[in-house]
Amino acid sequence: MKKSAAFALATALLLGTAHAQEKVTLTVAAFPSLDSAIKAILPAWTKLHPNVTINLQAQQFADHHNAMTTALATGQGLPDVMAIEIGYVGKFAEGQGLENLNSAPYSAAQYKKLFTPFTIAQATGSDGRFIAMPTDIGPGTFFYRKDVLDKAGVNPLTMQSSWENYIASGKKIKQKTGAYLVNTAASVYNLVIRTNLKSGEGIYFDKQNNLLVGPDSARFVRAMTLAKQVRDAGLDAKIGEWSNEWYDAFKKGTVATQFSGAWLQGALQNWMAPDTKGLWRVQNLPEKGFASWGGSFYAIPSKAKNKQWAWEFIKFMTLNQGSQITAFQDNGAFPALIAAQKDKAFSEPVEFLGGQKARVLWRDAAAKTQPIDVNKYDSVADQILQTELTNVLEQGKDIKQALADARAQIARRAR
Amino acid sequence: MTTTPVQHAAPGTRTRRARLPWQRVPIWALMLLACFLSVVPFYLMFVWASHPSAEVFTFPPHLWFGDALARNWQGLMQVTDGQAPRQFWNSLYIALISTLTTLFFCSLAGYAFAMYDFRGKGALFAFILGTMLIPPLVMDIPSFLVMNNVLHWVGQPRALWVPGMANAFGIFLMRQYISSALPRELIEAARMDGATEFGIYRQVVLPLIRPILATLGVVTFVGAWNNFKGALIMKLSEPDTMTLPLSLRRLGGGATNVNVDWGAIMMLVVITVIPLLIVFLLASRQVISGLTSGAVKD
Amino acid sequence: MSQRTPTSAPPRAPWSYTRFQQRFAPYLFVSPFFLLFAVFGLFPLLFSLFLAFHLWSPLDGVGNWKFVGFENFQLALGPTDMFWKSLKNTLWIGLLSGIPQHLVALPLAFIIHHSLRRFQGAFSTILFLPYITNAVAIAIVFATLYSERLGILNYLGGLVGLDPVRWLGDPNMVPYSVAAVVFWRYVGWNTVLYLSGLQAISEDVYEAATVDGAGAWQKFWYITLPLLRPMMFYAFTLTIVGSMQLFEEPFMLLNDGGGSGGAGLTSAMHIFNTAFRDLDMGYASAMSWLLFLAIFALSMLNNYLFSRDGGNR
Repeated sequence: MKKSAAFALATALLLGTAHAQEKVTLTVAAFPSLDSAIKAILPAWTKLHPNVTINLQAQQFADHHNAMTTALATGQGLPDVMAIEIGYVGKFAEGQGLENLNSAPYSAAQYKKLFTPFTIAQATGSDGRFIAMPTDIGPGTFFYRKDVLDKAGVNPLTMQSSWENYIASGKKIKQKTGAYLVNTAASVYNLVIRTNLKSGEGIYFDKQNNLLVGPDSARFVRAMTLAKQVRDAGLDAKIGEWSNEWYDAFKKGTVATQFSGAWLQGALQNWMAPDTKGLWRVQNLPEKGFASWGGSFYAIPSKAKNKQWAWEFIKFMTLNQGSQITAFQDNGAFPALIAAQKDKAFSEPVEFLGGQKARVLWRDAAAKTQPIDVNKYDSVADQILQTELTNVLEQGKDIKQALADARAQIARRAR
Repeated sequence: MTTTPVQHAAPGTRTRRARLPWQRVPIWALMLLACFLSVVPFYLMFVWASHPSAEVFTFPPHLWFGDALARNWQGLMQVTDGQAPRQFWNSLYIALISTLTTLFFCSLAGYAFAMYDFRGKGALFAFILGTMLIPPLVMDIPSFLVMNNVLHWVGQPRALWVPGMANAFGIFLMRQYISSALPRELIEAARMDGATEFGIYRQVVLPLIRPILATLGVVTFVGAWNNFKGALIMKLSEPDTMTLPLSLRRLGGGATNVNVDWGAIMMLVVITVIPLLIVFLLASRQVISGLTSGAVKD
Repeated sequence: MSQRTPTSAPPRAPWSYTRFQQRFAPYLFVSPFFLLFAVFGLFPLLFSLFLAFHLWSPLDGVGNWKFVGFENFQLALGPTDMFWKSLKNTLWIGLLSGIPQHLVALPLAFIIHHSLRRFQGAFSTILFLPYITNAVAIAIVFATLYSERLGILNYLGGLVGLDPVRWLGDPNMVPYSVAAVVFWRYVGWNTVLYLSGLQAISEDVYEAATVDGAGAWQKFWYITLPLLRPMMFYAFTLTIVGSMQLFEEPFMLLNDGGGSGGAGLTSAMHIFNTAFRDLDMGYASAMSWLLFLAIFALSMLNNYLFSRDGGNR
C-alpha cells in the first residue's frame, strides 16, 4: 500500500503535475532594482505555490555579475535562477554553464515571438543556444525639461535632429537659463558608440573578433569629438550617474536633458524628483538612434538543483502579464513581454510627462532596437576606453592619439 | 619580551614639568584638533543615522542628532528584507569562531615554540615568520580556486575563518609572551606530577596566559569583523551568510535604480561600527599592545 | 633561539606512552599551522606561480591551461598597459597618504610622550580609533563628506568662498581624496607605534643631554630620531606593504573601475578586476607577482636607506 503511494507520488513528480506538496527552496540571485520587482511579485507567486520558498540573494550590481561570472566559470555556488543584466547577457550566452532554453524540457522557442525581438537575439549565443528569458527592457530615450527648453527658446526636435544641433542648442540653453545640457559629456560618448552600429557589429569587436576601436573608426572619433565639444563648451555638469548630485540636479532642474532608459521616468516620479511632475518630456534619441538602456533576463544554471521549479519561476516572472505589470508598477521596469506592453496602461497618457503618451513611443523604439554583438573582452575594452575618454576630456589628450593608445591596449589584452 | 606601550611614566620624570601654562596652549590645541579629526566621522555617522533619509544630504548639513532613529531602523529592515539582525549575527559568528580557533591553535603552537626543545624548532619557527612576508594579495586568486574547485567552500563562512586559524602573527605573539612570562620549572613540575602534555597546556599554561589571549583575541575579532575582501571573494552573499561589510557594500555601493535610503545605510554603518567601538573601548590597551607588538622583537 | 638542551634526551628507555606523547607533543602542537599553510598557503602560492605562465580562464575548465611563457609578464610590463597606470596610482596614493602619516605621527607621538604623558592612554585610544574601524563603513561616511554639491567639505569650503571641489570626480583630485581617507585611518596607528618606540628610550639619555645643555629641538634631532630608527624602519615597512596592497577604500569610494578615468584604480583593484571580472587568471596572477616584487623592492630600498650611514643600532 505504502509502496504504491510512493510510486504514485514519484510518478506524479516525474510528470511534473502534482508538485503541490513537496517543500522546495528556490535560490534566486539578483541585483537592484530587479530584486525589488521580484519582491513585489512574490506574494502572487506564493499564493500559487505556497510550498516553494524563494531565497532571494541580492548583491551590488557589479559584484553580482562578477560573482555569477566566477560561479559559472567554476561551476560552484550557483543559484537556481540567475538574473542577468543586458550588458552581461551576451557574454554569458557565449560562455558555458547555463541551460539552453531551446531544448527540452524548456522548449522556449515557442515563447520567443512573445518578446521584444532584440532581447531574444541578445540572449542567443553565436552557436544558437538561447540562455535567458527577458523580463524587462530599457528602451533608450531622450528626456528633456520642457520648461527649460522653452525658456531658452529651443525646439526639442532640433536637438534630436543631429548631434551638432544638440550641442548648439545646449549652448543656447546654458546662455539663456544657466542650466547644463547634460550631466556628463561621457554620456554623449556612451550613446554615440552604441547607436548606428552596422548589422552584426558589436560595440568594440565585430563578429570575427576584429577590434573596431582605433583612430580610423569614425564612430569612436565622432563620439569622443562630440563629448569633447560638450565639455569644452562647459555644457556638462560633470556629475556621475547614480550619485546624489545627479538626483539633486533632477530636483533643481540644473540639467536640461538626460539620455536613459524608459525606466528613469518611474524613478524620477517615485523618488528622484517627484516635484518636477509635468516638467519633463521624452522623445527618441538624436539622429534616429535606438539603443537599449538596461534590461534584465533570467537564466538557469546547468548545475541548478531545482531546474524544474526554476523554470516555473522564470515563466511566472516573464510570461505572466500580471507579474510584468507588477514589476512595471514597482519600479518602472518596462515589460519585455509584448502582450504586457499592449496593456491598456501603456496607451494612457503619462501624467508625470505632462500627459505625453510616452509608453507608445518607447514600445516603438524597443521594436526598432537592434541586438548588439558581444565579445568576452568587452569589459576590458570598456574600461580602457573610459580611461582614455577621461584623458581626452580632462587632460586634453589628442583624440586620435587616445584611440590609438586604446586600440593598442585592448589588442594586447584580447588574446 | 613584549611591549606594553601604554605605560605610565616612571616616577622620576615628573621633575621636568615646570612649564608655564601658556606654553602648553598650542600643544593642547594641536592635540585636541587631532582628536577632533579622529572622532568627527564617527560623530557624523551617528548624527546621520538619526535623521530621515532625505536629510542626510541637506544644505546646510545637520550637525546635531535628529529623531529618526526608529524610522531608520525600520528603513534598514526594509532595505535588507529584515536580514540586518541576521547579517549582524553572521559577522559575529565569523568573528567569534575566528577568535576562539585562533586563540586555541596559536597558543598551542606558541607554547610549543616557547617551552619545548625539539628537532627543527628553529627552522620551523623561522619558516613561520617568513610566511608573514608573503603579501596576502598574491593568495587571493589561487585560494579562491582552492576553496571553489577543491574544497567547495565558497559561500560558506568557514572559507573565511579556517585558513587563518593558526596564523604566523598569532603564533609569534604567543611565543614571545609565553617564553617571557612562563617559568619552565612550572611546566617541569606539572610533568613530574604526571600530567600529559596537552593537560599541561590546558591546566597550567592557558590560565597563566590570559592577558595575551585577551590581546590576540580582540585583535583577531576586529580583523575578522572587518573582513570585506574575503567575504567578497568567497561570496558570502546569500541571506544566510551575508556579513555586514558585504551588506553595506550592497546598499552603499552605488549604481542602483532604487531609492537609496541614506538614513538606513547610516544606521547599518553605525551597527557595523558599534561592536568595534565597544570592544575597543573595553580593551583598547590589549588591542593597541597586540597590534603594535610586532614592532619589538626579542 | 633554539639551543637544544640535553634535558629532553634521556638515555634509552623502553617505549612508553608518556615518553611518546612528550616527544611528539610539540610537533602535534605546531602542526595545524603547517597543515593549513600547505593547503591555503603553499599550494595556492605555487598554483599562482603556475598560472602566471599560462593563459587560463576558469571558463576553459581546470586543466585546459595554455602555456604562454612570459607573455603575461610582458603584457603587464608593456608601456601602455593598465598595470603601469594602476601601479603609478598605487604609488602616488601611497606617497600622498604615507609621507604625511609619518610627518604627523612622529611629532604627535613626541608631544604626547614629553608633554602630555598623563593623558597618553586617552590620546592613544582616541587616535587609534580610526585604525580599527571598518573600511567599508568609513568609506561610506567619507563618500558622504566628499559629495560634490551636498557634502560637508564643499559646504565648509563654500563658507570661506571656495568653489566646490570634485573630490571623487576630478581625476587629478581623486588620489588626494583617497589618500586622505587612508591618512585618516593610519595616522593614529603610526602615532601609537612611535609612542611605544619612545617609551623604550631610556630617560637617562635625556637627563644626560639636559645636563649638557641641549634644547628640546636638539634632543629631538640628536637623541630621539636616531634611537627611534628601528621603530621608524618597522613603521615605514608596514606603510609600504599596506599601501601597495590598497584595495578597500578606493574600491568603496570609487567602485571597481577606480572612478573617473581610473584615477583611483590601484594595482590590487586592477588585479581583482582582471581575475574576477575579466576572468584572465594568468594575467592577474602575473601582475600579483609583479606587485609582490615591487613590494619587495621597495622594502629592500627602505632597508637600504635605513641601514646606510649607521644609526645607533
